[in-house]
Amino acid sequence: MTSTAIAGAAVQLVGGIVLAPLLPGLIQYWKARLQGRPGPSPLQPYRELRRLWRKSTVDVAGATAVYRLAPSLAAASLLGAIGLVPVVADSPDLGVGHDVIALIGLLAIARFALAAAAWDTGSGFSLMGASRDLTISVFTEVALLLAVTVAAIVTRTTSLTGMISGTAGGHVWSSPALPLGTAAFALVVIAETGRQPFDNPDTHLELTMIHEGPLLEYAGRDLAYLHWVSAARHWLLLVLAAVLFLPHPHGTWAQLALLPAELVAMCAALAVAETLMVKMRLLLAPRLLGIAAVVALLGIVARQAGIS
Amino acid sequence: MTVTAPVGSAYRDRVAAALAAGWQARSLYAAADGQLVRIALTAADGRSLIETVAADSDGSVPSVADLVPAMAWDEREAHDLHGITFTGHEPMRPLANHSAPLAEWTVPVRGHDPYQVAVGPIHAGVIESGHFRFHVVGDKILHLDARLFYKHRGLERAAEGQPITAALAVVSRACAACTAANGVAYSIAAEQALGLRAAPQLARARALLVELERVWNHLNDIAAVCAGTGMAAGNAWFLALTEQARRLNASLTGHRFLFGSVQVGGSTLTIDAGTVSRCARELAGLRAAAESGWRELEFNASFQDRLGGVGIVAARDCSRLGVVGPAARAAGLAEDARAVSPYPGHDAFRPVTPENAAGDVKDRLGQRMLELRQAFAILEVLLDQGPLLPAEAVVGDAPGPVGFGITESPRGATTCIIERAGDAVRRVRLRTASYANWPAVAHAAAGSLLPDFPLINKSFELCYACADR
Repeated sequence: MTSTAIAGAAVQLVGGIVLAPLLPGLIQYWKARLQGRPGPSPLQPYRELRRLWRKSTVDVAGATAVYRLAPSLAAASLLGAIGLVPVVADSPDLGVGHDVIALIGLLAIARFALAAAAWDTGSGFSLMGASRDLTISVFTEVALLLAVTVAAIVTRTTSLTGMISGTAGGHVWSSPALPLGTAAFALVVIAETGRQPFDNPDTHLELTMIHEGPLLEYAGRDLAYLHWVSAARHWLLLVLAAVLFLPHPHGTWAQLALLPAELVAMCAALAVAETLMVKMRLLLAPRLLGIAAVVALLGIVARQAGIS
Repeated sequence: MTVTAPVGSAYRDRVAAALAAGWQARSLYAAADGQLVRIALTAADGRSLIETVAADSDGSVPSVADLVPAMAWDEREAHDLHGITFTGHEPMRPLANHSAPLAEWTVPVRGHDPYQVAVGPIHAGVIESGHFRFHVVGDKILHLDARLFYKHRGLERAAEGQPITAALAVVSRACAACTAANGVAYSIAAEQALGLRAAPQLARARALLVELERVWNHLNDIAAVCAGTGMAAGNAWFLALTEQARRLNASLTGHRFLFGSVQVGGSTLTIDAGTVSRCARELAGLRAAAESGWRELEFNASFQDRLGGVGIVAARDCSRLGVVGPAARAAGLAEDARAVSPYPGHDAFRPVTPENAAGDVKDRLGQRMLELRQAFAILEVLLDQGPLLPAEAVVGDAPGPVGFGITESPRGATTCIIERAGDAVRRVRLRTASYANWPAVAHAAAGSLLPDFPLINKSFELCYACADR
């Protein structure tokens, strides 16, 4: 294995597993600053994980293995997804391949595991959150699929390593396809990471929760897993945005050097967006994701029609 | 004020006649250990009237809840706490009594796939205790049953037998957010029963306290609506202003929530000339900061998009349910207890209502800002009159056994009725604006989406403690 491949794999795994909680931490930190508060340190998510990891789990009376296994299943599928999403073009195959369609499947497994667990406990708020999450995910997944399809058509492959090298450099930005895909993917990032205007990650107002809902019935280590899952989701989507939908150079070292800057910049952008935009009406969320899907479709049409 | 002698079956007719003549029912309560039931009504010109009905030998009186639905909670309370049976009030759902099974206090809901969502009494936040039971289909609310009285401390009973001046402490501790308004309503009632009235200096001190209370409450309510939509920056801005207003209260009266600043028969509040001008400067700064925050909110499209058409309580429903205060004015009803108040600063007072008032969250929020500007203007007038000195009440009308007081609290008209035996309290009934408006929250929720409920609730921002007492 070349040194660049080893470095790429290291960044991919260390970043995805260890550094992921820093991303929501940074967003929270900047959001607090924008509200005129000092706010918690960006390392706060790590402190939360440490606190939860030391606590014992509490099981819901009458719940079955579906509830019990959901946090580990969700964490395992996100771990698989981290292995799947490369950060550079010449990343080695870590045994899970690089197929982008498989990634969408892995994200869906995590979602399904939590929804099934909510159903298993029968808790009102968990079910409410899970049902809203599943409803919105119908639209999110379509938009996600169409957005990555734009990148896949532009690069003529669904392998992420191929897509990274295909979208590197400046020439792909001369045609409208990829910029349209970027616009669509930006909305998908916000929806998938559960941030405003789709969901409010700060709220514990029982009646408005989406992603927080199914987490209510978990405590201790199980909850730590689920917090990490949420952080890992930030990593996956922001990395995908950086290596496919934002300009990046050809060389591996250059790609590795640019990645942290782009991740941090996107966290700042999310913090600003979340400060300016409030949570939208629940039933309007599918409409916004529909717009994302249409924008992505336009990108596909532009490419197929040969507009450049 | 007129208090009628107890009547029997003529009670309903007399209440109906008063309502037909435009009188507004303000409070209904059991008196004389459950032997009497009284209903207080006010006319648009400020006159007040108390109709009394004697209970039958079996403790029953005719219900007026069908004539004036606003008194339904009062009858339920008198039933639970004083054992009165209201004939014609069917079904009599418990209000303060929490031992009744679920089926007795909730409204049956039938249909395809309705389910119940139970929230509280312990909430995920710094919120008072109240239990809400939503009947929903999907995310749409069909009906809301609210169960309050988790903070019922028996304050009215605790005040009984105490000297009139001492019982003020019990009433003004009913809640922190409305303590000045509750205390002033009590003092007006007490002074009326004792044959006193507030001279201009005393009235000025009270008007000042009530408006200071309105300023911090309205700032807080705007912050609460911001929180309800996820507008964290707006929430932080207006909460900071709320705290500034409370600190101003502390520097003037010694207490951030104005506790202990109202007295019966006088006022000990002293503010020297230097403090008055500093206070006026600070209020001008608060006003400018509130205006700049408000401008940001007005130009934030995603925030504004959440407000319109949500949680509507139209004017007709406001009248029927007896809604008071900003919630009623936001629906276009220009009613305000200050309009007939003899207090300085209030003498030329005219209630404001939003343009094209629809009674939705947007109007209730906008109404807060309209009233905030009014409150700042009134405070300016009051502070312009120079230093504030201690004042005494002067001799007024003849003393009587019953006194009635009404004040416009930040949430609307709060009434207090005192029945006295000598210098002691025989019975006191505090009916706050929150108590009057809670049924409207349930009404506004019906037909809305479940995730919009926190926003609707915060657009009313009612107290639990001063409703439960």
